[in-house]
Amino acid sequence: MNEQYAHAVGRVRAKEPKLLDNAKIDRMAEARNAEEVLKVLGETEYSEYLASLPGIHDFDKILDQELHRVYREMRQLAPELVSIFARKFDYHNLKVLFKSQKLGEKRDDLLVRDIGNIPVDELARAVNEDDYSKLPLRMRQAGRQMSELFRLNPDPQMTDMLLEQAMYAETAESLEELASPMLKEYFTILIDLLNIKTYLRVKRANRSKEFLEQALLPGGELEVFRLVQLVEPLEVLIDRLLYSRYAKVVEEGVQTYQKTDSLTRFEKLADNFLLKQIKQAKYLTVGPEPLAGYLLAKENELKLIRIIMVGKINRLPTEEIKERLRDVYV
Amino acid sequence: MDVGLALAILGAAVATFMAGIGSAVGIGIAGQTGAGVVSEDPDKFGLTVVLTALPGTQGIYGLIMGFLILFRVGVIGAEPMDLTIPQGLSMLFAGLPIGFVGWMSAIYQGKAVASGIQLIAKRPEEFGKAMIYGVMVETYAVFALLMSLIIYLFAPL
Repeated sequence: MNEQYAHAVGRVRAKEPKLLDNAKIDRMAEARNAEEVLKVLGETEYSEYLASLPGIHDFDKILDQELHRVYREMRQLAPELVSIFARKFDYHNLKVLFKSQKLGEKRDDLLVRDIGNIPVDELARAVNEDDYSKLPLRMRQAGRQMSELFRLNPDPQMTDMLLEQAMYAETAESLEELASPMLKEYFTILIDLLNIKTYLRVKRANRSKEFLEQALLPGGELEVFRLVQLVEPLEVLIDRLLYSRYAKVVEEGVQTYQKTDSLTRFEKLADNFLLKQIKQAKYLTVGPEPLAGYLLAKENELKLIRIIMVGKINRLPTEEIKERLRDVYV
Repeated sequence: MDVGLALAILGAAVATFMAGIGSAVGIGIAGQTGAGVVSEDPDKFGLTVVLTALPGTQGIYGLIMGFLILFRVGVIGAEPMDLTIPQGLSMLFAGLPIGFVGWMSAIYQGKAVASGIQLIAKRPEEFGKAMIYGVMVETYAVFALLMSLIIYLFAPL
């Protein structure tokens, strides 16, 4: 058993009651305008950020501050676990830096600072000097490869794919070390759902089979490439997955996608499916899972607030906002 | 001093150190979780500390048993007795139930109360239920103490 997390799990359990529950989210979604949403947020642990908020259009600042706080606190409790989830920020930053250097447009606003495992300056140095030797193994390999490929064929999509592949390969390696079946399962599902989405996108873009093969991530349970051909209609995909655990997500998500040509529904169902997986952590009392659960619950919560705020600022009807909301962890 | 007396003293030692180790580990686990909760919500100290103390009883049982054995064979308070090897062994056996059961039950009780502390972190009104789960483990430490006492009282010296 993992007694090393005994303190951290206690901390997280005491934090969990402060997560926004369904009732709060509903009240926010039903608020008349963005100001009123912030009023509801003022009753929660977000209140401390509200005083220094210049206006409703800067609500991103609140979410950003909260994300930073959560990662900072959790990193103190379980650095090796948090580094797995913070990896996406490193790869995101590397992508932004690489593209802005190659394409010559400064996009510093897209960088996520002070929250990833590798300082942004370190990544910027690697990109500017084209020297990836000081980065972690997978990142180094991907960095060298994409810088070489970019010289031959400047295709930003190739960069995205290489970095995504490297990130999930690195994640798989850290998960081996962590030895948590639940979290391993979580990433397997995440990769499967991403691969299904990739399949749908590649199919719509009419790209080649070779392209799909490169774009799919390894490490999932489904072998999308073997499962279904690009030329086959979408019904085949639904049919082939009818007896898998993704049946509901794929059936409803893909059918809606066929009708509306939008992946929003699929993404929502996929998020809810993943959340259901991570909710198991609520019933575990030892090990790293409750910590991962809290971290992902927070990320989900921030996503919900963003959906509501963007909806309210753009004056979307309440029903439409609710349609887009995901479940909550608590 | 003969071997018989040494065996009886070993019995006292085993009862005390094994149950003591168990209690230390059990309280350690519960204490870490408790400190985690209190660092977020200091008002819960009172509730967590009661639960955290539960795995401590095994160590006390072991200590009592150790003292009793040392009294009976006269190491404390009287002249040390001359014990045969079987007599010494029976005092050693008196120490074993609480030694072993105290050791393991305290560790598992520590885990149970750590979970109970997580429960009251979210629902302090359910303190009583969290307590019951911990106390259920305690039962077996009490049974072991009972058997240790029976052996101690009825084994002929």
